[in-house]
Amino acid sequence: MSSTDPLYLVFLVTGFTVGFGHCVGMFGPIVVSLSLNLKGRNVLIPQLLYNAGRVITYALLGGLAGILGSFTILTSSILSLQQGVLIFAGVLVLLMGLAMGGWISFGRIFGDGDSSSTIFSKWFHRLSAARSPIVYLPLGLLLGLLPCGPVYTALIASARAGMEAQTTLQDFFSGMGLMLAFGIGTVPSLLLVGKLAGLGWIRSRHLIYKISSVLMVLVGIYFIIQGIRY
Amino acid sequence: MSSWFRASINHEIPLCIRGQLQSLILAALWAKFIAKGVKGMLEGFWISARKVLIPVIACLLMVMNQGALRGAIAADPTSENLINCSIQQGPCTKDLRGMTVTLDILPKPVMAMKDLKFQVTLSGEKKTAAPYIDLGMRGMNMGPNRVELRPVKDNVYEGQGIIVRCSSGRRTWEATVTLPEVGKVEFIFDVIY
Repeated sequence: MSSTDPLYLVFLVTGFTVGFGHCVGMFGPIVVSLSLNLKGRNVLIPQLLYNAGRVITYALLGGLAGILGSFTILTSSILSLQQGVLIFAGVLVLLMGLAMGGWISFGRIFGDGDSSSTIFSKWFHRLSAARSPIVYLPLGLLLGLLPCGPVYTALIASARAGMEAQTTLQDFFSGMGLMLAFGIGTVPSLLLVGKLAGLGWIRSRHLIYKISSVLMVLVGIYFIIQGIRY
Repeated sequence: MSSWFRASINHEIPLCIRGQLQSLILAALWAKFIAKGVKGMLEGFWISARKVLIPVIACLLMVMNQGALRGAIAADPTSENLINCSIQQGPCTKDLRGMTVTLDILPKPVMAMKDLKFQVTLSGEKKTAAPYIDLGMRGMNMGPNRVELRPVKDNVYEGQGIIVRCSSGRRTWEATVTLPEVGKVEFIFDVIY
C-alpha cells in the first residue's frame, strides 16, 4: 500500500462535492449547450463521451504533474493553452447559441458557399448535427484544459504524490491516479445537469430554446472576456 | 424552500455564477424590450432588428453588467469584507487561547500560482505539535490544499505551498492555521493574480 492510497478516495469524494458546486458553474454552461444542441435526442452517450474526454485530459495532466514533481512548472507551460481553450469554449457556446436562435446561419459564419468546405465548419456541422456522437470525445479532451481552481488543487496533490514516488513510471501513475479519481468524482453532477438540459421531459420547447440561445450567447461572451483577461 | 437548501445554494453556487445568472436574465429581458422599440425605427431598412439588435444589445448590457457584478461581489459578506490580514504589507498576528499566532507568506507580493513559503511563529506558554495550514476560499469549495509546516527554529515553523487561481476572478483567500490540541485561527487576505 502506498501513502497516496487514501488520497484517491479523498479526491474522488472531493471531485463529487466540487462537481455539484464549482464545476456546475464552470462547465455547466458547456454541458447545457451540448445537450440543447442535441435538440431532444438522447444526450447520455454524447455527454458520457464528453466527460470521458475531460477525465482523460485530467489524468494525463496528473501524470505530467507527477513526473515533473512541480505544479508551477506544469501550469506555467500550459497557461497560454488554457487561455486559448477558454476563448475557444466561449466561441463554441456563442456560435451554438447564435445558430440555435436562428440569428445567424452556418453559411454566414463560415462563408456563403459550401458550409462544410473547411475543417472547422465540417467539424462544427458534425457536432451540431451530432450524427456521430464520437465528436464529443475530442471536445471533452480539449475542454478538460479549461482553467479551474479545484482542478489546480488536485494537480498540486498529484505533483506531491509524484515527488514521493521512486521511479518515473510510479511518478506518472501516482499523479494520474489522483487526477483520475478527482475527474471521475466530477462526472455525476455534470451528467445530471446534461440530462436535465436534454429537454426530453419538456413538452413545449420552442420558448426554452429561444431563451437558452440568448443565454448561450451571453455565456459565450462571458467566457471570451474571461479568457482574454486570464 | 428549506433553510438548509437556501444555505446550500448560497454556499455552493459560486457568487460569480449567481451574479452572472442575474446579469444574463436582465440582459435578455432588456435586449428584447429595447429591440422591440428600435424595430419600428428600422423598418424599411435591410437590417433586421430581431436578428441583429438582440445579440448586439445583449452584448452591450452584458459588458455593462460586469460593473454591477463587481459591486455585488464587493458587497457580499462572504467576500472581501471579511479580510482581516494585510498579507501583502507584512506578517499578520492573531490571538488564540493565550498564544499569539503570526503568519507570513513569502515572497512578496503574494501571488497565486507561485511557489510560496508559509511561516508561522508562535508565542506563549503552551506547547503544541507542529501546526499546519489549510488554504481555501470562503463559500467556494476549492478542494483540500494543506501546507504542512516543519520547525525551523524555536516556535517558528515553515512549509511550502501554492495558492491557486480561481477562474471567477475572486482573490480573497483564507488560511486556517491549526495548532493541534489548541485550536484554529483564520487569516483572510487578498492575493494577486
